[in-house]
Amino acid sequence: MGVLKGGLSVRRYRASEPPEGFRDLYTAALEDNAFRDALTEVNKEQRVGWVQVHNLLDNSFLDTNRWLYNQYAVFGMRIDKKVLPGKLFGAHLEKRCQAWAKENNRERVPSKVKAELKDALEMEMLLKTLPSVAVHEVAWNLNEGWVIFHNQSEVPNDTFRKLFHRTFGMALIPHDPLDFVASEPELANALVSSGASDLRMESR
Amino acid sequence: MSGHEENEGAPPHVAGEFFLWLWYQSETGQGRVDFGEEGGTVEYWVDDRISFRAVGEDKVSAIMTGDNPSLTPEAHAALAGGKVIRDVRLALRREDREYTVTLKAPRIEIAAAKLPALVKSGDEGEVLYERMFLYEELHFILGGLFRAFAAARCSEEWRERTLPDLRRWVAAGPGAAGALDAEAEAS
Repeated sequence: MGVLKGGLSVRRYRASEPPEGFRDLYTAALEDNAFRDALTEVNKEQRVGWVQVHNLLDNSFLDTNRWLYNQYAVFGMRIDKKVLPGKLFGAHLEKRCQAWAKENNRERVPSKVKAELKDALEMEMLLKTLPSVAVHEVAWNLNEGWVIFHNQSEVPNDTFRKLFHRTFGMALIPHDPLDFVASEPELANALVSSGASDLRMESR
Repeated sequence: MSGHEENEGAPPHVAGEFFLWLWYQSETGQGRVDFGEEGGTVEYWVDDRISFRAVGEDKVSAIMTGDNPSLTPEAHAALAGGKVIRDVRLALRREDREYTVTLKAPRIEIAAAKLPALVKSGDEGEVLYERMFLYEELHFILGGLFRAFAAARCSEEWRERTLPDLRRWVAAGPGAAGALDAEAEAS
C-alpha cells in the first residue's frame, strides 16, 4: 500500500516552496534525520526517522536518484517501538514475586522490592523483544507545494509533522475542504457561515 | 502560500452535506459534472459503502455496505433520523479512467483509493509518475465536484428548491427519485 503500489489512503498537506539549492540542503537534512538507531538494547522509547521507500533498512539519502524523482521527493517515516506483551509480563512478574516471598519467608512482597523486580524483568524481556516497525510513505510535490502522508491516524500524523518540521524547517498545513475553493474567497466565506441543513420533513 | 490557514477550516457539516449532495445527484440521474473543454466530463456514483454518524459525534453509528447501499431503506432511514454521512465510497469515471475511493469527513480525505493502472510494467520512476498523475487527477476531480457543490450550496436555489427536494427524497425512501422528478415536472 502506498506511493508505488496498492490503494492510497493519505492525508494531504500544504508545504512552503523549497529554497534555492534544496537538493543539497534536503539531502543533508534527510541524512541528519534518517532512521539510525535500531532498538537492540533495553529501550522502550519510540524511535523515528526517514528511510527510503524501497526498503525500510535503506536509510541513506546521499544518492538523490533513490528519493528525488524530478519534482517528487519520496521517502518513508519509520517508527520503531518495543512493546512488552502485557499478560506475559504480568504472569512472569507474579512468579518472581512468589519466588521472592518464598525465598525470604515473607507473606507479601514490599512495594519497593516489587518495583525492583519489575524493572529487572522489564530489562530482561526488552532484550529479547523485537520492536514493532511501521513505515508510512511520503510523497512531496516540490513544484506545487503539496505533501501526502500515507496514514490518516492522528498520532502518526502529529509525529510526521514534527519530524518534517525538524528536518526541513517548515510547518505543514493540513488540507481543508475550503482549499478547493481558495480561489473564490466569497464562496469559501459563504460556506463557513452556512448552517447545517436539516433534512427532516417535520422541521420545515 | 495560498489558501486558508490551519485554524479557519470548513464547518464540520460541510463534508457530510457534500457527500449527501453527491449521493442525491447520482441517484437522481445527475451524477455528471462538466469541467469544460480542458477538464472534460466526470461521471460518479455511490459504490459499495456509506457510513453515518450522529450529529456532534465522530464514531460511526450505522454502515451500509454491499451492492447499491445508497438504495437501501436503512440508508434513507438514517438520514431521516437526523444522522449525517461520515464516509462514502464513490466511483468516478473520467474518459476511460475509473477510480474508486472512500471519502472521509470532515477533511474529505482520500482513503483506499483504487487507481486505474495504465502502465503495467516499467521502472520505478515511471510507476511513480503515473501514480502521482492519477492521484493528482483524482484530487482535481474532487476539487471540481466540491466547487460545484459549494456553488449549489451557497445559492438561493438551495433553500428554495434543493433542500425541499432533498427532504422529499429522504422521506420518500430509495427508488423514489423518478417519482419525485415526475412530481416536480407536473407541478
